[in-house]
Amino acid sequence: MIIAYHRPRSLEEAQALLAQPNTRPLGGGTVLARWSGAPIAVVDLQALGWNRIELRGNELDVGATVTLQQLLESGSCPPALKKAIYLEMPLNLRNVATAAGTIVACDGRSPFVTALLALDAKLILADEQETVLPIGEYLPFRPAGLICRIVLPMHVRFAFEHASRTPSDLPLLCVALTQWMTGRTRIAVGGWGTSPALAMDGPEASGYDAAVYNACYHANDERASAEYRKEIAMALARRCLATIEA
Amino acid sequence: MNITLHINGLDHTLDVPPHTTLLTAVRSLGYHSVKFGDEHGLSGADTVLLDGRPINAAVMLAAQAEGHKIATIEALGQHPEQGWKKTEGLHPLQRAFLETGAIQCGYCTPAQILAAKALLDRNPNPTEEEVRQAIAGVLCRCTGYLKPVQAVLRAAAEMRGEIVPEQPQDVAGVAFLDTSAEESSSPAPDSRLPQVATRIMPKVILAPEAKTWQTVGKPEVKVDAVKLVQGKPAFTADIEKRGLLYAKVLRSPHAHARIKHIDVSKAKALPGVAAVLTWKDLPRVVYSTAGQSDPIPGPLDTFSLDNKVRFVGDRVAFVAAETPEIAKQALSLIDVEYEILPAILDMRQAIDNPPVIHDEPEYVNFANSQPHRNLAAEIRIDIGDVEKGFRQADMIFEGEYVVPKVQQAHIEPHVALTYWDEDDRLVIRTSTQVPFHVRRILAPVLGLPIKRIRVIKPRIGGGFGGKQEVLIEDIPAHLTIATGRPVLYEYTREEEFIAARSRHPMRIRLKTGVKRDGTITANEMYVLSDTGAYGCHALTVTGNTGHKAMALYVGDGEYRKSPNIRFYADVVYTNTPPAGAYRGYGVPQGYWAVDRHMEKIARSLGMDPLEFRLKNALRSGEYHPFSTAWNEGREPRPEIIHTVGLEQCVAQGKAAIGWDDKFGNEAWHRSAGPNKRRGIGVALVMQGTAIPYLDMGGASIKMNDDGSFNLLVGATDLGTGSDTVLAQMAAEVLGVPVEDILCYSSDTDFTPFDKGAYASSTTYISGTAVVKAAQMAAERIKLRAAKMLNREANGRPPVQPDKIRLADRKAWAPDGRFVPLAEIALDTLHRSEQEQIMGVASYVSPSSPPPFAAQFAEVTVDLETGAVTVDKLVMAVDSGVIVNPLTASGQVEGGMTQALGYAVCEEMTWDANGRMFQRDFRNYHIFRADEMPELGVIFVETFEPTHPFGVKAVAEIPMDGVAPAVGNAILEAVGVQIDDIPITPEKVWLALRAQAGQSESRI
Repeated sequence: MIIAYHRPRSLEEAQALLAQPNTRPLGGGTVLARWSGAPIAVVDLQALGWNRIELRGNELDVGATVTLQQLLESGSCPPALKKAIYLEMPLNLRNVATAAGTIVACDGRSPFVTALLALDAKLILADEQETVLPIGEYLPFRPAGLICRIVLPMHVRFAFEHASRTPSDLPLLCVALTQWMTGRTRIAVGGWGTSPALAMDGPEASGYDAAVYNACYHANDERASAEYRKEIAMALARRCLATIEA
Repeated sequence: MNITLHINGLDHTLDVPPHTTLLTAVRSLGYHSVKFGDEHGLSGADTVLLDGRPINAAVMLAAQAEGHKIATIEALGQHPEQGWKKTEGLHPLQRAFLETGAIQCGYCTPAQILAAKALLDRNPNPTEEEVRQAIAGVLCRCTGYLKPVQAVLRAAAEMRGEIVPEQPQDVAGVAFLDTSAEESSSPAPDSRLPQVATRIMPKVILAPEAKTWQTVGKPEVKVDAVKLVQGKPAFTADIEKRGLLYAKVLRSPHAHARIKHIDVSKAKALPGVAAVLTWKDLPRVVYSTAGQSDPIPGPLDTFSLDNKVRFVGDRVAFVAAETPEIAKQALSLIDVEYEILPAILDMRQAIDNPPVIHDEPEYVNFANSQPHRNLAAEIRIDIGDVEKGFRQADMIFEGEYVVPKVQQAHIEPHVALTYWDEDDRLVIRTSTQVPFHVRRILAPVLGLPIKRIRVIKPRIGGGFGGKQEVLIEDIPAHLTIATGRPVLYEYTREEEFIAARSRHPMRIRLKTGVKRDGTITANEMYVLSDTGAYGCHALTVTGNTGHKAMALYVGDGEYRKSPNIRFYADVVYTNTPPAGAYRGYGVPQGYWAVDRHMEKIARSLGMDPLEFRLKNALRSGEYHPFSTAWNEGREPRPEIIHTVGLEQCVAQGKAAIGWDDKFGNEAWHRSAGPNKRRGIGVALVMQGTAIPYLDMGGASIKMNDDGSFNLLVGATDLGTGSDTVLAQMAAEVLGVPVEDILCYSSDTDFTPFDKGAYASSTTYISGTAVVKAAQMAAERIKLRAAKMLNREANGRPPVQPDKIRLADRKAWAPDGRFVPLAEIALDTLHRSEQEQIMGVASYVSPSSPPPFAAQFAEVTVDLETGAVTVDKLVMAVDSGVIVNPLTASGQVEGGMTQALGYAVCEEMTWDANGRMFQRDFRNYHIFRADEMPELGVIFVETFEPTHPFGVKAVAEIPMDGVAPAVGNAILEAVGVQIDDIPITPEKVWLALRAQAGQSESRI
């Protein structure tokens, strides 16, 4: 149960509050607001001004409390990322759920985080050093620390494909693929488990099919079999490649 | 903590605990339009606008909203006339929802309207797709979204200053199919033509008898629409009681266990806890939760609390406390020691398996229940000589089909509030489809005589059969008895999934004998049906599977005269959440099997699938084959089917979907692009209308001083619009507009008995009662009118009462003289020979005339992923005369949408320990506004002679044919057979892979 609520006006105030035991940062609250576990205090980040989206050179700087809908409506948001955000949750929730909160609370079915993983998003922590944590390193362990920004590469080609039972249902499998100008190709898959999985990050796309196939090796759950996911991952990755090559 | 919320322009300061959600806060302030639908914000019933954007109040802390502008629908518009005070009236969005029939149960309506308002505030000229995306955060289980979307487009046009078409009032000949939404990007204010056409009306092929009516057959606005569109506190949980306690239930973590020891001392000691009840505290009264007439056609196998639990989620203890949070905390303080027993989780392993799920000595058998064998019911029906029919067949086709457990998923959860009134009578205010059954069934359970219980049914936020169950009312009632205080119990969404009722999962085997010319010679179905842990509806649901689905195809020629049909079923207990009533009541299960089977046979014979079906289908003038053999465990009574509009349904449906251009057309199949194939499919179905010789409905009508009428019915409008169609029928008889009929339902103290809303019976059974009551009142009115006219005869011949006609709020003599009904009312109530003009009537039917339908589906299949997109659904249905095409088409659209979920995505599954995987709307997906196929509705009217206005049922039949039509369309698209639903991408992909493997092996 939530036993205390704070809305700090400055980062310093927030950090001081978060240094207290059993205290957690609150983004949009779509997950934490219904907390029913051991007593906690929450620190609402809405007054910190972290709700801006800025294009800085080759990068898109997304504030931690930018809502998913805000990002979806941004002119700087790549179309394929918009598609992933749209699938993440319905409009009402997108109006509240924050970019950082969605990362922190995601499971493996998150289209948005699958897309960020393929984009090799950088999470900027609100510490003195502004520590940069690649999302791929963050997701397996989800270390404590306050995310203040998410940085996305912009001069890349990016595609997202998914298969689901209905057009707006959560994906049984989604594949996100990013290709840099250098040829570097990074593919993430999502749709099961506790986090999206990185299938490959290589200098070129070759071997992508085996990579996504292997990434789904243990992808069994009540919604689909690993056998199915392995096979269609190759098809979806192929479609992603075709999209960016078109 | 103290917070200030700025709601609808007003500041409200509250002292609330930090965990208080915005939903709790706004409802505590009286903004009852904001509803609870689920804990995750996925239902969207909890929508408010925060700084102009729709958000979910259930997943936001109240403190988070401080400093923001909150808007609810209470501030949007209001009734235009409030006595001497005139208001600006309803908002255009509210008016449009009302006029287009976009409201069914109305539970989600405020949320939809707010979401739409947020859109129109930013984008006054949205596309249909933008509207669909904007309201996609609000789930609606009733409407299929077509009419809400059109309402938003209509309101948008009006708000842009464009002329919108009048609400169509007449259904003339073949009308209203069309339906293209024509929108103008540049408004033409001078034009006298409407700028936007709304697609809300179905095509209606009228019965000739319908043309003379004034009200019946017209798209009247729902009688409850004005309050629902304003978000008025009309639902069960929308009242406040001083001293209210909140109930919670401790639920079993085990699928099968005996409670060895239970200690509630710590829970009782928790401050704020008012009562904790276990099985030791309650009288041991065995009963059935099935909301059915007496005697219950099923076993009595349930206790309010027992010393044994039979599924994960079964009841262990009840708590009442000052707040829901304290009650929840108290649950965690109850110590229970279980003796875990072996569990049966697979229906195929149930019969004669040593773990006996019901070993209680109090068990009361019905018909062929055999609890020692884990058999809740057994059905054995033989019609004709089935074995002879098989011997006479040229070919025998056999197949097995599987259907899953699915949830009704009404957006308003089960909720009940109980309290003692000033006469020490127990009041149960509950969201139920069966208020009178609740009273009768709970009386012994609570140790009260029926006369000391009053059940009030307010508006219901959807039911779909899930509330044809006396599911939760006993819990707050026991706690009110224990504490003397009012108690509210509202299911969480998780409880809806783990501890409510669901559609029976079944495994169905079919065997059919056929002549080479396509004549069916014998048809056999065996059903293994899983009732879960309790046998509520076990016999009757599964009986319906055969009774309706196996009745349609009787064969042709000599076989038509004497069909050979066998229907056997075993309904087994398992340690899974109980199944129960769900719209369609066993019939959708049957038609998945029967129609897929018919498709396979037709194709094997090289026959046109529709020609094959129609050749063997039931025709008017023939006996319902099952009526000679089965009647839900009672005496069978043969029944002739008078009206069958099936051929016309097929013709109309084919034309609407373009069947002849698409079926078998390879170019069309490939028209969706590479790696995609399109396909088209059909299913023919029939249902029933009410339960003959059993279910009764009553109505009373009284005339008021102004010539208006109070219509009191026990029938329960669960959002379907039944109050409206009952009012229409009364209005038709009494010659008044619908607005002069004040319909109230239902309260066991005040309204006549009615069996409740189930078995597609309200328009037919309760409607006939209403017509009879109205006719009684009309007779009195005519007598009085004749007297009044003859008083002023002035030498003219006397007027005979039976020659008087009631119309336009007047009683008309043949010579054109008339008396206004208001004058008649004043005369009878005040002036001379005073009397209360009223009528009271009831009706039980000897017939159950089936509606028939042809349901079509168009799909696109992704060859690489197996994903199926359903592009279009068309239903042409013979439901007799349509009393209200707006509400009836809403029923069909909503039913098709639920059935679509049944076809492609909905399924309840559990792990090896019996724990349900699907516990919320994230894991149990129901269709949203932004992913709907195009929907088409056609009514092919017949005049059913057993009803005064010729009606048959419409509510359930839309559930029956969508899944097989989709399955058949997939077959047409890619040539694979899927025999179990839901048709997931993986199943299609596996079938495609197997097909490819076979092709390779042939090469």
